[in-house]
Amino acid sequence: MLAIALFGFAAVAALCLAMERHYADLLGHKPTPRRLRGLRMGGWLLIAVALGLAVRHSGWAMGLVELSAVVMGGLCAWVFVLPYAPRLLLGLAAASLVLAPLALLAPY
Amino acid sequence: MKEGFRQAMAWLHTWAGLIFGWLLFAIFLTGTLSYFKNEISHWTQPEIPYRTLDTTASLSLAQRYLQTNAADAGSWFIQLPEARDPTLRVGWRAPGAGRRDFNEKILDPATGNQLHPRDSSGGEFFYRFHFQLQMPYPWGRWLSTFCALMMLVGLVTGIITHKKIFKEFFTFRPGKGQRSWLDGHNAIGVLVLPFHLMISYSSLVIFMAMVMPASISTMYGDNLQAYYNELFSRDEPVKPAGTPAPLVPLAQLYAQARQQAPGSEISWVEVQNPGDLNARVRLVRASNEGIAQNRGAGWLFDGVQGTPLKAPGEQSTPLLIAAGMYGLHMGHFAGPTLRWLYFVFGLAGTAVIGTGLVMWLGKRQLKHAKSGTQPFELRLVEVLNIASMSGLILAVAAFFWANRLLPVALEGRADLEVDSFFAVWGLALLHALLRPGRRAWGEQLLLGAVLFAALPVLNALTTGTGLLPAIAQGDWMIAGFDLTALGCGLLLAWMARKMLRPQVLAPKRAARTPRAAPLIESEVQ
Repeated sequence: MLAIALFGFAAVAALCLAMERHYADLLGHKPTPRRLRGLRMGGWLLIAVALGLAVRHSGWAMGLVELSAVVMGGLCAWVFVLPYAPRLLLGLAAASLVLAPLALLAPY
Repeated sequence: MKEGFRQAMAWLHTWAGLIFGWLLFAIFLTGTLSYFKNEISHWTQPEIPYRTLDTTASLSLAQRYLQTNAADAGSWFIQLPEARDPTLRVGWRAPGAGRRDFNEKILDPATGNQLHPRDSSGGEFFYRFHFQLQMPYPWGRWLSTFCALMMLVGLVTGIITHKKIFKEFFTFRPGKGQRSWLDGHNAIGVLVLPFHLMISYSSLVIFMAMVMPASISTMYGDNLQAYYNELFSRDEPVKPAGTPAPLVPLAQLYAQARQQAPGSEISWVEVQNPGDLNARVRLVRASNEGIAQNRGAGWLFDGVQGTPLKAPGEQSTPLLIAAGMYGLHMGHFAGPTLRWLYFVFGLAGTAVIGTGLVMWLGKRQLKHAKSGTQPFELRLVEVLNIASMSGLILAVAAFFWANRLLPVALEGRADLEVDSFFAVWGLALLHALLRPGRRAWGEQLLLGAVLFAALPVLNALTTGTGLLPAIAQGDWMIAGFDLTALGCGLLLAWMARKMLRPQVLAPKRAARTPRAAPLIESEVQ
């Protein structure tokens, strides 16, 4: 479940950055259209990975419930903390992207 | 036409939200508490000790107790301890006794001795309140179901009204007055939308037999019981043979069931005609095994021979869907992480309703800000807002305080706890009537902060299961309750501080209003 949550959180961050206004606000420069497209595809790809993991781990019924729950939780954390600590969240998103595959290897 | 439609939906969103918002706030808050129903019940009955689970031993102890104390009963019931509920409960009914005529005792799962916990409805009170509203049957159920329908209406009209649902998907701009409230309202509504839709729709499914009885009465006529028997694959009770015969050890049947479904847990045991040749034993599975609850699922055994008569079968698809909705709403299947997320999303639903009510008032008060007086209807909404939100929080706190302060052996103390809940709620209404709006908010939130933050202290002073002993015992139900109460206290203190501090931002905000106002005006009526 940890790996699913981390992948989901990274996906949320990528999809948010894929919007021009948020990208410019958070990273301080204008993105190229190619980068935005890349972020959007990356975000959906991460969601797909999280979905695959969730379904493999707990089956379709539980997997979908778990995935929606962690993604909704990630969205709330992202949106409501962003105005107060944007750098922290960017760091966390990067960290979760790195840690997610590692969490997958963890024994539990 | 399109703009007209959106306007009409905005109108419906505004007024349905206002009229049903106060009640929906209470339903959502108490419903959210119900995700920790067992934990709350455990906290309110600290006399029931927290023990390591041993179903086989508990079952044997329960059987021995019933054999000694209720050998000639018509039926026995045993509720086994589970990870989230340490209670071992036994019950029996005399032969031919009515549904209400029922004896119930609580046992220590480790020794089998009878326990005498304090009388309290605990989490059951909040759970019952959230769909019965403390009204006589069936009015409370009808009213809360209608509120659920209105919540669904509010969600759908809200989506239609919200113009920039994707463009502002990630947007929250704090510190900008009405703008921030609208952002917050939209963001919590949209981000957690799947949960909101699931909760309000599934509550209609749960009461479908009540809300849409036409198809059932066509098939079954007035015999509703036949419908339920078929629905939950219950059998007609077996008549006793009149020949005494000893009951097999229940632990042995439990072992048989476990062999058939390894990893399954049993939460409920029912024995018909104990001590008779025609004894029947039903073992019912714990409800945390899958999302779709199969309430009839279990094993039926011959109680004398110990031979299996029926194993849990497959559910039909429509039943699976209904049970899936029921299961998703209740969240019995949720482990700790998922349960906490359920709790957070429940609070989010409560917050959507609360922010909506605050905005309705805030927008209209702005128009009267210069004159300094507000019309009667705005004052009425303000008082009801305060009483229904911070007043309810105080009432919940009062329930827990009453649980610890009322003498343990007092007659009818469970009812007194409920009475203190409503008494404090009423007092909060009175207080809101007497004090100016912002002061009333601030004072009630501050009192709530003190009451919640002090709950762990009160618990430690009045029982032997304070925070530290509970952690030492590994009883995270009580420890988690105390820590959550402390967290709520801190959150309420922060909110109270915001309310009680003089509004230094006021002139700045007033200057900004002309620019922001048309924007809001166009989005929500």
